[in-house]
Amino acid sequence: MTATVARRRSTVARHRSPAQGSGGHFAQRAKATVGTAALLVVAVYVIAPIYWLVVASSKNASQLFSTSTFLPPAQLNWVSNLRSLFSYNSGDFKWWFLNSVIYAVTTATFATAVSTLAGYGLAKYRFRLRRAVFGLVLGALLVPATALVVPLFLLEHDVHLTNTYQGVILPLMVYPFGVYFMSIFSADAVPDTLIDSCRIDGAGEFRTFWRIGRPILMPGMVTLFLLSFIGTWNNYFLPLVLLGTETRFPLTVGLGAWASDLSLAGAGQPLYPEVIIGSLVSVLPMLILFPFLQKYVARGLTLGAIAGE
Amino acid sequence: MAAQSVGATTLPGPGTLAPRRPPRPQRQLRVKQGRAGLGMTAPFLALFAMFFVAPLIYSIVLSLRSPLTNAFTGLLNYRTVFSNGEYWSGVVRMGYFGAVQVTVMIGLAIILALFLDSPYCRGRKFFALVYFLPYAVPGVIAAIQWGFLLEPDLDSALNVPHRLGLAAGPMTPLDYRLSLYAIMLIVTWEFTGYNMTILLTSLTNVPHQVLEAAKVDGCSELAIATRIKLPLIRRTIVFIVILSVIGTLQLFNEPVILNEIASIGNSFTPNQIIYNTAFSFGNEQLAAAQSVVLAVITIVATVAFFGLVRRKMDPFSATRGR
Repeated sequence: MTATVARRRSTVARHRSPAQGSGGHFAQRAKATVGTAALLVVAVYVIAPIYWLVVASSKNASQLFSTSTFLPPAQLNWVSNLRSLFSYNSGDFKWWFLNSVIYAVTTATFATAVSTLAGYGLAKYRFRLRRAVFGLVLGALLVPATALVVPLFLLEHDVHLTNTYQGVILPLMVYPFGVYFMSIFSADAVPDTLIDSCRIDGAGEFRTFWRIGRPILMPGMVTLFLLSFIGTWNNYFLPLVLLGTETRFPLTVGLGAWASDLSLAGAGQPLYPEVIIGSLVSVLPMLILFPFLQKYVARGLTLGAIAGE
Repeated sequence: MAAQSVGATTLPGPGTLAPRRPPRPQRQLRVKQGRAGLGMTAPFLALFAMFFVAPLIYSIVLSLRSPLTNAFTGLLNYRTVFSNGEYWSGVVRMGYFGAVQVTVMIGLAIILALFLDSPYCRGRKFFALVYFLPYAVPGVIAAIQWGFLLEPDLDSALNVPHRLGLAAGPMTPLDYRLSLYAIMLIVTWEFTGYNMTILLTSLTNVPHQVLEAAKVDGCSELAIATRIKLPLIRRTIVFIVILSVIGTLQLFNEPVILNEIASIGNSFTPNQIIYNTAFSFGNEQLAAAQSVVLAVITIVATVAFFGLVRRKMDPFSATRGR
C-alpha cells in the first residue's frame, strides 16, 4: 500500500517536472536541501543522547568528569566497565536483566494470547454480554493505568502477591487495548464464510479458532506481542511499587535505585560508569532490533489511532 | 453470522409476522456459538475483574475510609484532597506542562510527518526510523541520559558560554526554576517520533486520487500539505493529543529519576504526590482518594477535549470541496 502510493506520487512528480522549467527545478532542489537540513537538526537532537550513552559508557569515573562530553576518551574502558557492572553489589545487574526478560516475555506472551482470544471472540460471535464486555474494554482505555497502581499494591499486599513475579506479570496481562486491537483486526481479517465452512466440516469453535483464526491473526499477534513487550520492559511505576527485594527488580527499577545512590555520594562517585553502561546494556538489544520491528510496532500504534476515531 | 443469514430466509410473507426467534435448531446453534464466544473472552474477563475492576472498586472504598481508624468517613478524604495545595499545584503544573509541551511536540510531529510525506524529502526511511528510536528507550533511561547531559559537571558543553565569557557561570538546566522545562525537553525527545510515526502511517492512507487531483489543479506541495493532508488526518491528530494529555497527567518516571540525579524535588507531579502519600506517609486512604480524583480529572479532560473537537470534525469536508 505504502509502496504503491509512493510510486504513483513519484510518477506524478516526473510528469510535472518538464513543464516547470529549470527555475522551478532549482527552487525544488533548494527546498529539498533546506528541508533535509532541518530534518538532520532534529535527527541530531534524537541521536545525541544515544550517541552520548555509547561514548560515555567507555569512560571510567575520572574520564567522565575530565574528558570532552561527546568525544571518546584516549583509553576505552568498556570491558572494565562491563566487568564492574556485572559484579557490583554481588552482581545484582545480571538478575535485573534476567528479570526484565522474564517479566517482558511472560507478560507479552500471555497478554497476547488472552487479548487475541477475547478480541476474536468479541468480533466473531454474538452473545448476550457482548456489548457489555465491549463497553468495559472501551471504558478501560480511558482509565489512566497509574491510577490503579497504589490500590493494586494494597490489594496484592492482602493476598501476599507483592514482591513476586506473578504479582507484576498478572496485572500487566490485562491489556484492554490489545483486546480492542484484536477485535478490529479479527473483524477485518477473518472472513465469516471461512469460519462457517469450518463448522460445516464439523470443527468445534475453539478448533476453528486454532486452525483458521490463529494463523490469519498471526501478524496482529506479533504486533501486540511487541507492544506489550516494550511496554513491560519500559515499565517503572508498577514494579517500583510492587517489588521490595533487589534481586526481583527489573532493569528500570534497579537502575533507578542506583541513580538514587548517585545523589547520596558526591560527584566522582564510582557508580557513575555503572549506571551509564547499565543504561546502554538495557537499551541496546531493542535499539539493534528496532529496524526490523519498526513496521510491526508502527502498525499497532496506527490501528489504535484509527480505532480511536 | 450463519444463524442470522439462515434466519433471514424466513422473511415474513404477506400478512404474516416474522417469527421473533429463529426455529429451534438454529437457536440451539446460536446459543452454542454464543457460549463459545463468551468462553473465549472469559480468561480476559477473569483477569480484568481481578486486576482492573477490583483495584478500582477497592480504591473507591478505601478512599471513603478514615486514615486513622479505617472507619467509614464519607467524603472526608476528598475534602482533604480538594484543600491540598501541593496536590493541586501538581495538577496545575501538569496543565501548564501539557499546554506547552504537548503543543510543541504535536506541532513538531506534524511538521516532520508532513515533510517526510512530501516529494521533497530525501532519506524518508532513514529519518522515520531515527525519529522513532526513542520509543524503544525506557523513560527511566531517557531521564538518566538527559539528567547527565543537563548536569554541568558531566556535560562540558554546558560550560562553553561561561568559558567564552557569555554567562556568569555554567548553564544549569536542572535548576529548580528550569527543571520543568528540562522535563519537557526529555518528554518531547521520547514521544515526538512516536506521534510522528502514527501521523505518517495515517498520511499514507490519504487517497492518492485526491492528491493527484490537487496537483493537476496546480496546487503547490505546501498547499497540498496544509489544505489537503492536514484536514484529512485531523482525527488522528485529535487522538494523539488526547493520548499525550493522558500521558502528561500521569507523568512519574522522568521527574522521579531527575530528582535522584539532581534533587529537583519529589512532588512535581500528581503521581509523585500520590506515591509519597501512600509510601512515605503511609496514608493509603488519602492516596486512594488522590488516585480517584486524578483518574476523574483525566477522564473528564479526555471526554471534554473530545467533545470540544468532535463537533468540528467532518471527515469528508476536505474531499467534498466547498
